Amino acid sequence: MLIETPDAGLFDELFDEGNRVRPHCRMLENWLLESDENLIAEKRREADVLFQRLGITFNVYGEDQGADRLIPFDLIPRVISASDWHKLQAGLRQRVTALNRFLHDIYHNYEIVKAGVISAEQVFANSQYQPGMQNLKLPRNLYSHIAGIDLIRNNDGDFYVLEDNLRCPSGVSYMLENRRMMMRLFPELFAHSPVAPVEHYPNLLGETLRAASLQANPTVVVLTPGRFNSAYFEHAFLARQMGVELVEGADLFVHQNRVYMKTTVGPQQVDVIYRRVDDDFLDPLAGNPSSMLGVPGLYAAYRTGNVVLANAMGTGIADDKSIYPYVPDMIRFYLSEEPILKNVPTWQCRKKKDLQYVLDHLPELVVKEAQGAGGYGMLIGPKASKKELETFRGLLKAHPEDYIAQPTLSLSTCPTFVDEGVAPRHLDLRPFVLSGKKIQMVPGGLTRVALKKGSLVVNSSQGGGTKDTWVLEDDLC
Amino acid sequence: MLSRAASSLFWMARYLERAESQARQLDVSLNMALIDVPEDRTEQLSVPLLVSGTFDDFFQHHDEITPQNLINFLLLDDQHPASVFNYIRNARDNALHVRGNLSADVWETINRAWLDLRVLQQEGVTESNASSVFDWIRERSHMFRGAAYGTLLRNDAFHFLRLGTIIERADTTARVLDIRHVMATRAMEEQATQSFFEWTALLNSLAAFEAYQNTYGHSLDPSSVAELLVLSHQLPRSLHSCLEEIAGLLDRVESGSAQRARRMASSLYANIRFGDTDYIEERGLHNYLVDFLARIQRIAGQIQKDYMGWHQ
Repeated sequence: MLIETPDAGLFDELFDEGNRVRPHCRMLENWLLESDENLIAEKRREADVLFQRLGITFNVYGEDQGADRLIPFDLIPRVISASDWHKLQAGLRQRVTALNRFLHDIYHNYEIVKAGVISAEQVFANSQYQPGMQNLKLPRNLYSHIAGIDLIRNNDGDFYVLEDNLRCPSGVSYMLENRRMMMRLFPELFAHSPVAPVEHYPNLLGETLRAASLQANPTVVVLTPGRFNSAYFEHAFLARQMGVELVEGADLFVHQNRVYMKTTVGPQQVDVIYRRVDDDFLDPLAGNPSSMLGVPGLYAAYRTGNVVLANAMGTGIADDKSIYPYVPDMIRFYLSEEPILKNVPTWQCRKKKDLQYVLDHLPELVVKEAQGAGGYGMLIGPKASKKELETFRGLLKAHPEDYIAQPTLSLSTCPTFVDEGVAPRHLDLRPFVLSGKKIQMVPGGLTRVALKKGSLVVNSSQGGGTKDTWVLEDDLC
Repeated sequence: MLSRAASSLFWMARYLERAESQARQLDVSLNMALIDVPEDRTEQLSVPLLVSGTFDDFFQHHDEITPQNLINFLLLDDQHPASVFNYIRNARDNALHVRGNLSADVWETINRAWLDLRVLQQEGVTESNASSVFDWIRERSHMFRGAAYGTLLRNDAFHFLRLGTIIERADTTARVLDIRHVMATRAMEEQATQSFFEWTALLNSLAAFEAYQNTYGHSLDPSSVAELLVLSHQLPRSLHSCLEEIAGLLDRVESGSAQRARRMASSLYANIRFGDTDYIEERGLHNYLVDFLARIQRIAGQIQKDYMGWHQ
């Protein structure tokens, strides 16, 4: 099978600048070269059938036909060397520690604001800041028990953090099912490769959630918005793997500031809620009054300390794109360490000077909504039409504080099966970081790949696919 | 366990059992219609409609009962709530709701049945391939039970799932017996050869023909058939076996203060366990079955009140 070589100037995960295969990827290359096209095509079909059967589907919002769609799964794994992972892991641990410290600080003593590292306005006037969280004591001072950190590798070969997801990061079930699928389809590949296992993630998650409560043997549940949610499959998957109940808002009620679930033997108290419902929908009495997904009175129970929410309310302030530029400073401020992972240079359009720069260089930049998610509402300068550029120019001038801009990074590529054969496609990486008694993660994470040639948008809602992610236990093999 | 989950497991299993039973009814009726004299064909074909209580409904959509109309209506019609298509769709919806309580094997069996059924529906089913589709439905149902028995913890999730299966089964046995026993008895009075087919039809629609031969080993007679289907403790679809399991399951289900369903089931079970054919004949089989159906429905309602009542 032929492998199309990457474009010059881009970092490729398989080939180096001289189009030689990187040493740690040799066994992958051998496998690709030896594999027969028809066999691979057959395996791809088999994978589709298996995913469909497992019910690993997702829904795309605003698309009727999109119900129960499969996320395209690419059979060629993305390989990360042991030394790269070693560094990534240390960087992730450092970053998530600092973010949790920041959250605790801005809801208690405001030291980072007092020290002048971040302006009071940017914290307290941010719509994601929850005044109700002030002075609420949380077990172990933890806010984001489960964090998904989106990383990309730039053409300089370094990993950059693109964004932090500290609310309800999703996708971990794909990481697990992708691995299961690869092991089922190509067991011989694993026999000869030192690929680090990821299968214990649900165990670590369960451990983290139990550690989120100070109770000796807490009752943990997973709260889902229901089976029409795009990530329902994942919620059910994780609940089953952890052996805890999967509940909807209507299964819970609050009595005297305690949360109970409605069971066949009467009410049973709940201690930890791994909630996959956004802050605003958790309690119709405190947030969105029309929410049918939440539990009336939950917020009061939470404030009383009778139930733990994972993640905590009010974490959105720390993964807001307008706060993102300050994360390296947070690391220096709270940990007195130099950041291990790089941040992408970011212009904050709220600042006059930055806005002017952005307006002058719009065709080279990526512009994002400070609070957007899912790849909606963003402008990729180099790919935008004149009309789109003008539209954004108008938006920027009208509401500069809603936007940030970054240079167009060249996401690294990796060989991927496409209609024309095997060709390089851009990808990112989302490792999942668990904070409990200690910080834990499984090696790797979810690799998302943009299947369209040249595309930089990897979101599944925008035609992205996924790959199995291999972290090697040993680079010498 | 969660009340909502108990309810979904219960209904998931009920719908799957109903799908299997409806496939059996259709299979037997379509076969009988081939054997029967033309004037009796309509009666044969109407049995599955009577069992599912959709006789009047049918005539709102079709002018006459033909095999193809019946297949379209009871097997594939996605607009009609009592079609096998919708039973399996509902079962899958309920399964999706309780994925957290199901093993991957059970979920995949149901999900796969649903995915394949959608393809079947697109392709259409005619009289000539209907039998293989009925076989397929029966096999899915067997696979579901096998996966449930082989992979689920014996906890309340399993108990509520079994309750759904068995309550549905008891209900079906009583209905089919009621309708077909009358037809077979009447045929016997009219003509001996035809009656043989009627008795086999009754037994076959409850997967009990071989069991009858095994147990009685003699020609078919009304009283033995009723005895087998009501009182036998060996036949898996007899009312006795169903009630034994229902009462046993309710004993095992973890219960708080709720005891009514358990009491009602134990009482009905005692009634059948110590009953005999004389008692049934004295009351008349039809009256006996009408009373049984009312009681089993009350038990089903009480189970929902006792354990799933939060959601009503």
